[in-house]
Amino acid sequence: MRFALAWRILTHDKGRTALAVAGVFMAILLVFVQLGFFIAVPQGGMLLYDRTRFDLLIASTGYEYQVLPGEFPLSQLDRVRTAPEVALAAPLYFGSAKWRSGEDGKAPDVFVIGLDPQDRIFTSEDINRQLAVLDRADTAIVDSMTRSMFGPLTTGRVVDINGDKVKIGGDYVLGTGFMGLGVILVSTQNFVRLFPYRKLGQVNLGLIQLKQGVDPDRAAASLRQLLGSDVQIFTRPKLEAHETAYWTTRTSVGLLFGSGLIVSFIVGVMVVYQILATQVSRQLPQFATLKAVGYGDRFLNGTVITMALLIVLAGFFPALVAALGIYAVIREETLLPVEMSGPRIAIVFAATLAMAAASALLSMSSLRRADPADLFS
Amino acid sequence: MIATPNLGFWRRSVGFVPLAWRNLLANKPRLLRSSGGIGFAVLLMLMQLGFERAFFNASLEVIELLDGDIFLQRASKYRFATKDPFPGRDLEAARAVPGVASAWPLYAAWHEIFWRNPVDDKSFLVRVFAFDPDQPVLSLPQLDANMKDLSDLDTAIVDRRARRFLGMDPAPPAAELNGNKIKIIGSFALGPDFENDGTVVIGDRTFAKLLPGPRGGPPDVELGVIKLTPGGDPAAVQRAITAAVPSDVAVLTKGQLLELERKFQADVSSAGPIFAMGTLVGFVVGMLISYQVIYTDVAEQQPQYATMKAIGYHTRYLVQVVLEQATLSALAGWVPACLVSILLFRVVGAVALLPLHMSVELALVSLLLTLSMCLISAVLAVRRVISTDPAEVF
Repeated sequence: MRFALAWRILTHDKGRTALAVAGVFMAILLVFVQLGFFIAVPQGGMLLYDRTRFDLLIASTGYEYQVLPGEFPLSQLDRVRTAPEVALAAPLYFGSAKWRSGEDGKAPDVFVIGLDPQDRIFTSEDINRQLAVLDRADTAIVDSMTRSMFGPLTTGRVVDINGDKVKIGGDYVLGTGFMGLGVILVSTQNFVRLFPYRKLGQVNLGLIQLKQGVDPDRAAASLRQLLGSDVQIFTRPKLEAHETAYWTTRTSVGLLFGSGLIVSFIVGVMVVYQILATQVSRQLPQFATLKAVGYGDRFLNGTVITMALLIVLAGFFPALVAALGIYAVIREETLLPVEMSGPRIAIVFAATLAMAAASALLSMSSLRRADPADLFS
Repeated sequence: MIATPNLGFWRRSVGFVPLAWRNLLANKPRLLRSSGGIGFAVLLMLMQLGFERAFFNASLEVIELLDGDIFLQRASKYRFATKDPFPGRDLEAARAVPGVASAWPLYAAWHEIFWRNPVDDKSFLVRVFAFDPDQPVLSLPQLDANMKDLSDLDTAIVDRRARRFLGMDPAPPAAELNGNKIKIIGSFALGPDFENDGTVVIGDRTFAKLLPGPRGGPPDVELGVIKLTPGGDPAAVQRAITAAVPSDVAVLTKGQLLELERKFQADVSSAGPIFAMGTLVGFVVGMLISYQVIYTDVAEQQPQYATMKAIGYHTRYLVQVVLEQATLSALAGWVPACLVSILLFRVVGAVALLPLHMSVELALVSLLLTLSMCLISAVLAVRRVISTDPAEVF
């Protein structure tokens, strides 16, 4: 009966109800989209890690985040290889170089990743297969998300990087994340040719793959004993926590989108309240009449809460679908794994339901004041 | 609701606000709710617009501080914050051009110099600017140091507004740059941007020691800062300098330098579209809310409007009343939203250390958006008044 009444009130004036639902839809969509941007920030920093295969990451004690990892001696990785739990210890070298073949004579900075093509560290077999090209001298493969200011990325094009002629051996799909405007992969031999002052004895990161069935936490503990305190060892969950904390609390991007999220959440919640309260107050004369003919406060309260929930639900699900669409666009444009996880949906859903309940409760106070006599004065 | 008809008062007020004003104030709780709803939509637009401006201004701020008329930089330099220097002799060539009063180098490093926080001994990348202390080419804000003392080797001044983890506020007595002990002789207040956590300013001699030039010689120049003799034709001097330096050196006015940076930021970052989308959402939500407010109001007062029509008021006047009322409720939402956003900009700006400010331009843009948001919905809602038939009401 309560549902029936609430339904009838809402369907009586379809235009107004549609308007309220549209408002709620926009408010919830706003929260979802801001949430998406906020999530995208640490994802951008995690991109390379998410697309490579490793159980433990070895880094210098000065490790800040992926692009500022510090250095440690390669000999540490040799020691790691002696441990019985370890299947593979792959060094990674990072460098930044001038790509002097950009558009309009500009020289954008390119992020260079040096690796051993034999290690096949990527989760994508497509990239691993392409690594064979890197054994050729002065050859690089280019991330497909490298910006247009780098000029055409056609295979076979010879470009000037730090004054060296380098041939583009192909492109791969991974994403540049926060590594830079452009990213290339080269073999360690070609890496030292590009950066003559760099020694292969000093590596930036070590990716460790463990043998099947080895517990990463235990392996990390025993490697810590083996390597001493000159390096730090991250398990995957620790690394993710570290990078997320870095990007959301230490960088301007994270702080800006974080505060954007909070503001949009408050605004969204207030907009939902305003819309629901207006809907309810409009119906006050009807409620007063119901009171006059003998319906109790409990019945009326139930009706109001049902109305609020119906409007919020009608706005929530289309907003969820639209947000999924927008997330797909962000994924397409940035290759960042911005996804709508269950907990994320649940948080926004719970918040909107709480808001619906709160605005219903607030409206009830005016409902109690609905004096049948007022109506006909 | 309009009180008992008082024709004398209405006649006097024709063409003025009072009727709209009275309508607005008739139901105070509703006024509070509607201005709250509109206000939150405006607040959202203001935050998004403010964030967008902060994003772009953060990277432009330091260029604004350069103290010169014409600038030389390597033509391949695609943005300010990238190391792509040119030989100092090209700056010498520019100095000899008639009309040039002075030409001094700015040296810079963005990804080459690490600062060791003396408090916790952790190292962080910092942005470093260097110049001849007798020719400070950068006007450092709220400088609290004797710039001349930078001519002593291994001295530096640091940014008190740098991110806290760098330990530059208050300025420590000493620290390390790339492992070199450095005496800190003062500070300024600049603040971080989207890529740099903090800034250190050193003398050219100290810079040459930290990052020697090719083959151990003097370092190459990141930016040539040129001042012109007063009264000359800047465009003509710019052309003369262009002719005097090699073609791989670009000669730019400050406006061109700022434009290059703005264009780079707009091209590579998605900040523009992201914040524009947020503003649009605020606009649409605000329109829905104000439509709802005005429509409810007009619908409730239809008998009164009909009465007015019956006693001879023109539809035009009634429409005018509704539009006035929409304008007033726009203002009732905009004013508090503006005040709250000033507060929020301060809080977020202090936490994120970003240039979030309420500017006259931002206030005007948001006012314009708010007014059009409310007036569009008023025009949509007002059809109801036009269709009012006096006979129907009774």
